[in-house]
Amino acid sequence: MEKSALSTAWSGGSPHSPDRVAIVDGDRVLSHGELHELVIRAAGALRSGGIEPGARVALVLESSWQYVVCYLAVMRAGAIAVPLNPAARERDLAGWVEHADATFAITDISYAAREALSAALPRSCRLLVCGGAGDPLAKPAAPVADVELPGISPDSPALILFTSGTSGSPKGVLLTHGNLQANVRGIIESLALTADDSIMAVLPFSYAYGNSVLLSHLACGARLVIQRGFGFPKAVVEAMVRERVTGFAGVPSTYALLLSRVRLENFDLSHLRYVTQAGGPMPVALTQRLMVALPGKQIFVMYGQTEATSRLTCLPAHRLAEKPGSVGLPLREVNLQIRDAAGAPCASGVAGDIWASGPNIMAGYWRNPGATAEALRDGWLRTGDVGRLDDEGFLHIVGRRSDIIKVGSHRVHPQDVEQVLAELADVSECAVVGVDDEILGEVIKAFVVRSQDSPLQELQVKRHCLERLAAYKVPKYVEFVAQLPRTSSGKVQRSVLQNPQETS
Amino acid sequence: MPAAEIKKFIAKNFLFSDDASVVPDDQSLMSSGTLDSTGILELIMFVEEKFQVKVADEDMLPENFDSVNAIAAYIALKKQAA
Repeated sequence: MEKSALSTAWSGGSPHSPDRVAIVDGDRVLSHGELHELVIRAAGALRSGGIEPGARVALVLESSWQYVVCYLAVMRAGAIAVPLNPAARERDLAGWVEHADATFAITDISYAAREALSAALPRSCRLLVCGGAGDPLAKPAAPVADVELPGISPDSPALILFTSGTSGSPKGVLLTHGNLQANVRGIIESLALTADDSIMAVLPFSYAYGNSVLLSHLACGARLVIQRGFGFPKAVVEAMVRERVTGFAGVPSTYALLLSRVRLENFDLSHLRYVTQAGGPMPVALTQRLMVALPGKQIFVMYGQTEATSRLTCLPAHRLAEKPGSVGLPLREVNLQIRDAAGAPCASGVAGDIWASGPNIMAGYWRNPGATAEALRDGWLRTGDVGRLDDEGFLHIVGRRSDIIKVGSHRVHPQDVEQVLAELADVSECAVVGVDDEILGEVIKAFVVRSQDSPLQELQVKRHCLERLAAYKVPKYVEFVAQLPRTSSGKVQRSVLQNPQETS
Repeated sequence: MPAAEIKKFIAKNFLFSDDASVVPDDQSLMSSGTLDSTGILELIMFVEEKFQVKVADEDMLPENFDSVNAIAAYIALKKQAA
């Protein structure tokens, strides 16, 4: 792609009719033209405020129109956006900022923990507040003479997405503008998106899936209807009807909530064309219920990971009924291989490690050469998932090797929670695993070995975690045990904790 | 008093505290970060069980469930109608 096209691509869909609506966020409606102007103005303000190309700028913002403008402006200014989950506690936020070596962080005046965040940030990081001090969205008093914005090439780094907390070895997935473009091309093609589409965006933009929804829809001139969270599914469905959205994207827990609390047949969803599901395997029974609840709608089951700019495969909607359990075919520019433990390709139908290559594969983990070397080999990404290809080349996920726990749309590394648990004086040992949950897919369970005669109670353990971790990382269950099951080499056997009936 | 029971439940299950006074009466439970999407569902299940009211799907809206006072008012209304 030409440089000039790239450098305008993220400024709000300027090639499309500027009068079409780009964003609906409550009462705030922005056209593509307005979005473009806001992005260019904010990018200029960031540049003249001292943000250099390649600098890291943390975003501590809820999914909102402000998020979209700041995010696109940071990238348009040639800097690297570092979106952080605003639900995280200060210790994680500060740790990410420090690891990314971000020189600026942007939040909003409405962010409740603003002062705590400000106090926790390293001195080298300046906080800009939308609607407050250093507002990057403020209209400049005097027109900023056209600040020269840098050229952007496909290899320019654009974005760092953290997939773990900061204990141990923080993994910040570094994605380039070329990676983002590849994802956008793949999604627009797979879903046949056009400027007539509009999507109900409930997934957080600070995660890979939400980010992909955001960019792919804006890039084709479509409309984003932003709704923060999914606490009141019926209110979201009402907004879908009111806004006549054509698309919806969710993770398995979104659909579990939707189908358990809303009778979709009572709503006029005649405008809805497609729904997408990714973010972890969805039970086939749930997919089938969704098909019954949304007759005639295109349901796209997809698979990917942050390291692949969110997407590797997509199951064409018209094949869903005949391929239950499959996550589909690789996107056009993606290559997949199933390999055995030694790295040799497996025969068709045989399960093995899933490897992927393509223009969407990350540049690496930010300042973590060890983890990068583990994940990237000769241009191929080792996904850490296990799967098989059927005789038509459709991928079926069989399992995953890593310990990551998927709580709803969130990813939790057990180490992040274990680290915090271990800080409790009366905890002598602990281990954290994911256990099945009907709605969320998995929830966190902690096994704790107390020091002798300790009166430590479940509530204390949970409160300690809540003070230090985002709410979704707090163990739902705490079990006190006499000891942890270990292998002969002393490693904790998480699988035994997860499935106590299993002996290994 | 439903409000007191609700505050006790929220304090214990979401703030992990025995002190119900930490839960505000009139503040949005979602935007204050006290509850997330699934927290609201758990709360609704608690309300159904504890106060023997059936929460219809169409009632699952922020105006009925996003603060302690709103939930208490909703329960009172349902009890009256019953």
